[in-house]
Amino acid sequence: MSESAKSNEAVAELARCRDEIERVDREIVRLLADRVALGQRTGALKRDAGLPILDPTREAAVIRRVTTVAREAGLPTEPVREIFWQIVGMSRRAQERE
Amino acid sequence: MIIITRPFVTDAEIDHIRERIESVGMRTHLSRGEHRTIIGCIGDESLLDELPLRSMPGVESVTPVLKPYKLASREFAVDRTVVRVGGRTAQATFGGEALTVIAGPCSVESRAMLDATAAAVRDAGATMLRGGAFKPRTSPYAFQGMGVEALKMLAAVRAETGLPVVTEVMDTRQVDVVAEHADMLQVGARNMQNFPLLAELGRVRRPILLKRGLSATIKELLMAAEYIMANGNHDVVLCERGIRTFETATRNTLDVAAIPVLKRESHLPVIVDPSHAGGDADLVAPLAFAAIAAGADGLIIEVHPDPERALSDGDQSLAPPAFVQLMTQLTAFAAAAGRRLPEVPATTRAVA
Repeated sequence: MSESAKSNEAVAELARCRDEIERVDREIVRLLADRVALGQRTGALKRDAGLPILDPTREAAVIRRVTTVAREAGLPTEPVREIFWQIVGMSRRAQERE
Repeated sequence: MIIITRPFVTDAEIDHIRERIESVGMRTHLSRGEHRTIIGCIGDESLLDELPLRSMPGVESVTPVLKPYKLASREFAVDRTVVRVGGRTAQATFGGEALTVIAGPCSVESRAMLDATAAAVRDAGATMLRGGAFKPRTSPYAFQGMGVEALKMLAAVRAETGLPVVTEVMDTRQVDVVAEHADMLQVGARNMQNFPLLAELGRVRRPILLKRGLSATIKELLMAAEYIMANGNHDVVLCERGIRTFETATRNTLDVAAIPVLKRESHLPVIVDPSHAGGDADLVAPLAFAAIAAGADGLIIEVHPDPERALSDGDQSLAPPAFVQLMTQLTAFAAAAGRRLPEVPATTRAVA
């Protein structure tokens, strides 16, 4: 394969990769929406059961679980923890709004 | 509170310790070194009273951090922090063996003067460019800076010279636009305790250059850094720039002792602004040498192609030949302090 053909092939493959990234990003956002919806549902159930919305023990357990999953997936754990603290916070605020 | 782990602590042990701390509503911060790991606890420490931290597997010792700053304190980090500025094409670091010298005009006055200054300071060995776009002036009638137009010029000059750019942000409303154009955001001395601004900068993915307030104590400076860090941005460089004293022969008094004190109290890099400290071009070089001798990680120096015609702070700006001389003399002071000036990459030299 000539150099220019190789570079054309790389450019085409890069475009395919970017399409795939966009697909994964859409999926992540869709899953976040699912997670918020589940949070709202648990918020309503907590209220029915007379339980407080904020449950630090539960949040800590969620963070520990995703840390383990991230490590098994070969991901750096600190950024994943940061992301999930944000997600847990977003979910909690959605529960409080209900 | 900081928890120092035993050598060869396992990931599962660390996860368990952090889960127990977080389950009472505190947050944790991990600092891993080659031989030991520190778990810092952030939040209301009275929540930890009930936890048997010392008896948890993997824990070697538990030490209260009595200082009001936690994330910024030396105890919280195993190693000193190295702050990296810039991206692929323009980079600088603060806190490593190499000193970083930031140079440029007090304020951006035109594209031509910025081009001339950037080329001159880069050839003299500066590895970052400064330039004010939004200027906090004591008088509302003084030149207030060129604003967004100056930011665009700074970004263009960065692309041409490979020098990362630092510029001041004064207002929460400017944070996004400054972060879009600059590699590092400066909090000026007058804004050191502008807490809404500090909190906003915590959410930015750009390193922050935090200047000490004119009448701020070292503790207040570190609490200001803590504000930025507690809001999520751990890339903070501290800057001593002179404090108000009874002395009137100099604009401010450079607090040289603050440099080793800050380095003892914090893991964050410390740089010095000898231009504002003395307020006089003749004082810049001696104060710069004193700063490096005292252990500073870098300098920020005002350079103007024609100081007599500068729209702001002309008295304290160096003309390019004086800056070249300072940088030449600085090499020996750096070596005596066990530091070095960064190599000037051949690629940036060739553009000149």
